[in-house]
Amino acid sequence: MNVTLRGFMKKELIQTLRDPRMRIVMFAVPMLQLIVFGLALSNEVKNIRLVGQFAPSDVVGQRLVRNALASTWFIPGQEAGGAFESVRSGNAHVVLVPPPGGLTRSVARGDGRLQVLIDAGNAVRARSIEAYLQRIVAETMAQEAAVAPKPAVDFSLRVLFNPSMETSLYLVPGVMVMILTLLTIIVTSMAIAREREMGTLEMLISAPIRKWELLVGKTLPYVIIAMIDVPLILLAGWLLFGVPVAGSLIELFLASFVFICAAVAVGTVISTFARNQQQAMMGGMIFMMPAILLSGIMYPIESMPQAISWLSQLDPLRHFVTLLRNILLKGGDPLVVAKHLGALLGLAAVAIAVSARRFRNTLN
Amino acid sequence: MKGFVLTRAWSIARKEVRHVRRDPFTLTMALGLPVVMIVFFGYAIDFNVKNVRIAVVDQDRTPSSRALQNVFSSSDYFQTVPADGRDGIDLLDNENTKAALYIPPGFQTDLTRKGAASVQVVLDGADNQTTGVIASYLGGLQRAANDRLAVAVPVPVRLDTRFLFNSELNSRWFIVPGLSVVVIGILSILLTALTVAREWENGSMELLLSTPVRPLEIVVGKLFPYSVLGLFSLAFVYVAARLVFGVPFRGSHLLFAGTGLVFLTTVLAQGLLISVITRQQLLAMQLANISGMMPNLLLSGFIFPIESMPAFFQTLTMGLAPRWFMYIVRGVFLKGAGLFEMGVPIIALCAINVAIVALAVKKFKTDLEP
Amino acid sequence: MSGRALAVEVEGLTVSFGDFKAVDDISFSVRPGEIFGFLGANGAGKTTTIRVLCGVLVPARGRVLVAGHDFSDGGWRIKHQVGYMSQRFTLYNDLSVAENLAFTASLRKMSAEKTAARMTELFALIEFDRPLTTRVSDLPGGLKQELSLAAALLHEPSVVFLDEPTAGVSPASRRRFWDLIRRVSQKGVTVFVTTHYMDEAEECDRIALMRAGKIIALDSPAGLKTSAFPEKLIEIEAPAENVVEWRRALAASGAVEGIQPHGMRFHAVLKDPERFSAASKGARWREIRPSLEDVFVRLVEGDDR
Repeated sequence: MNVTLRGFMKKELIQTLRDPRMRIVMFAVPMLQLIVFGLALSNEVKNIRLVGQFAPSDVVGQRLVRNALASTWFIPGQEAGGAFESVRSGNAHVVLVPPPGGLTRSVARGDGRLQVLIDAGNAVRARSIEAYLQRIVAETMAQEAAVAPKPAVDFSLRVLFNPSMETSLYLVPGVMVMILTLLTIIVTSMAIAREREMGTLEMLISAPIRKWELLVGKTLPYVIIAMIDVPLILLAGWLLFGVPVAGSLIELFLASFVFICAAVAVGTVISTFARNQQQAMMGGMIFMMPAILLSGIMYPIESMPQAISWLSQLDPLRHFVTLLRNILLKGGDPLVVAKHLGALLGLAAVAIAVSARRFRNTLN
Repeated sequence: MKGFVLTRAWSIARKEVRHVRRDPFTLTMALGLPVVMIVFFGYAIDFNVKNVRIAVVDQDRTPSSRALQNVFSSSDYFQTVPADGRDGIDLLDNENTKAALYIPPGFQTDLTRKGAASVQVVLDGADNQTTGVIASYLGGLQRAANDRLAVAVPVPVRLDTRFLFNSELNSRWFIVPGLSVVVIGILSILLTALTVAREWENGSMELLLSTPVRPLEIVVGKLFPYSVLGLFSLAFVYVAARLVFGVPFRGSHLLFAGTGLVFLTTVLAQGLLISVITRQQLLAMQLANISGMMPNLLLSGFIFPIESMPAFFQTLTMGLAPRWFMYIVRGVFLKGAGLFEMGVPIIALCAINVAIVALAVKKFKTDLEP
Repeated sequence: MSGRALAVEVEGLTVSFGDFKAVDDISFSVRPGEIFGFLGANGAGKTTTIRVLCGVLVPARGRVLVAGHDFSDGGWRIKHQVGYMSQRFTLYNDLSVAENLAFTASLRKMSAEKTAARMTELFALIEFDRPLTTRVSDLPGGLKQELSLAAALLHEPSVVFLDEPTAGVSPASRRRFWDLIRRVSQKGVTVFVTTHYMDEAEECDRIALMRAGKIIALDSPAGLKTSAFPEKLIEIEAPAENVVEWRRALAASGAVEGIQPHGMRFHAVLKDPERFSAASKGARWREIRPSLEDVFVRLVEGDDR
């Protein structure tokens, strides 16, 4: 390899990894983050606090509450001064209010009604709560009647690729992407801004090295560090959460490499706008937060308005998340992989070109 | 702590203000970014999935099966895409089609002869978030299908559902307050995380150490201007939430502002603490991201509900200021919750505040002591 | 290029930052092996000039030749021939001596053998006796600067540019450093130094005095002194009392010119020896050789005063 490049990389790696705290941050913390977030995060709606205002003699009502609590979704809530107040104070997420005279009696009359108050502060949860309740009601009523009135048209549901709807299989790839992003974009932009802030950039420019030698020399070490983290994170994901690698490892590493290069290139572009490390970091944040929110890690891209969905095509994180999920969980559909890998390559190329143009080889 | 001199703290605050004023970039970021993000993402994020592409494999091809398809296509939620035979599952591999409907041959016959028929709905579970939402639509669609195709079976119990605080299930009312907490929380930590580390790196900290300034004065002096900045930012966000998204505000403004101030000082102090410990900007940034951005985004209850976490983690998040402030903000905006209902979160927030500020002062003390 | 070619040739150099002319149409040349000093106050344009000569800054106008090469190739060949010790940066503080020099060598694409040989030579030159694994941050200031000079010389440049190399360094270390510069110059390397220390300027073969972007004088120290003070320069001891009165009377008498306070005494140019004793009321005086400080004050500030 080019002597200058080798020397640069050595210096960069020494400076970055000499501090043991930095070593921990770059290698151990990603695993820790994966463990914590993989275990903690879940989309499933559960631990819903339920209160049923049924009199003890209201048999049907009591059975309803028992069934609900026996399911994995509901846990007992607390009444605190009336149905509305209970929900408002957060003591209950859902309150079941029987009609006057009790539920049992109204069912016997053939006019079964039940008022349900649901905390809709979280709109998605609210919807799921209602759906779950309907199922429980149907089950309870089926137990009551001798013959269960089966709906004429029945939807039998099958969920592919993730039959248990395990959140972690879906989320862990997303968390992996976030972790890799944190290791690349801001670190790279700050590293370059640091040379400018310390005045060492002037010295580097005065030496007969080409622009590309300087840029590659500064950024390659971070690509290497991130690439080392990739198998570590994948291993942790597999061991702890059973995240499979249904597709080919080569595709996986290729996708990771291209993404990391794109991320590092973006960091370099950001550094050309920054005069010091603080600005580099802020700039990195301006890019990263929208990038994470638009990437589909936290919520579906499909539900975004068209214009914004278009914008997300410019987000390398979005493409990498899709690639990871596809390769890990679905085995890597060639069309999907080609499309998103191509997009990543394009974004990387543009970022590299912009940073090469913007990076000034002189002080003016 | 002896001898807290206000004037010394004030001069540190003034110096910090001068730094910030000379850095218009940071200033615009601190004031502008939260508002921009909230407007942009409040608009972009919508959990109510619509127009999901569902591939329909109709092997029956009868008026009944077509009527069933119609139930799906006429709803806002689905967009039917006719497919044949085997293609259904393959279409699911394509990321655009999230669901498939299989109508077996004999559907109409079964319905008229036996009075019951079954169709299969296949969902792409790799995309967990959408899957859950789609599954929740199916209940209503099944009822509609039954209404359309068969004699309506009397439902023993009708649910009269009232969605409280957000009757239209406007997911933006849920997202916007949450997003503001997250954005302001993250930004605040980053603002202060670099300040002290930078002064260590460029040597001006040593200068400060040679003066008779006390740790508490430094902390207070540095926190003050950024707190003011943060309050302005919070105000802008409030205006955006109310005017642009029409999020109702049913609680007490005083409570909001007061807890906002406590929250701001807490996260700012956290950034300051990071700065003191690391003494190096690059490391400070990493630590700020690890202890600030990730938990703020993922563990505060912003998108992933705290109730859904395992008990261990639920307890863990009790040490996070954003978690409590998120709860307060949502309560104050949507539920009109007051001091009483918010008692626990307020106390928790204050406790965390005191703890972090005390830790920051203590760490500074060990640095300043000869 | 032949051996007698100039090390540095500058013609009509102008550097602007927006409307501000940091360097305003300056011309000078430096002979090979010279110790050439650039003297001036902060903001006079010294650092800007050096930056241009190192290829780090692009001039607005002017012709620049360093070691016989010009800027037509973007300064590429110049950078090969030139060593640079900038004002702000010396060496990476968090790296060891060996690591720093290894890095410098890699920037210059030097082979391992060459690097080792040069390092031995240079360590001997600067009499460096610490272990090579020492962190640069652990070195005293003077030693750091000498090491920086060694780093700038690693690739055997023919011209080396030093921008305020002794800033913030103890007087003893400054002495040592200038001995080093002289040794380096004796080996044939052209040394181009900026400084605002007058005593250092005395050590140079030739000095250029800069002010507000222009060169207001260029000559050897001796030459400058002679041209600035063609007449006798004397040092006068002021009387114990009524100094202001005395000075005014002396100035008005025309016996001397350009009275400048100098420490506790006054320097002045003796114009009329006969009238002097009377005008000075018999104050003690002696002839002195002008120092560069006198020259500087005369040329730069004398006009204003």
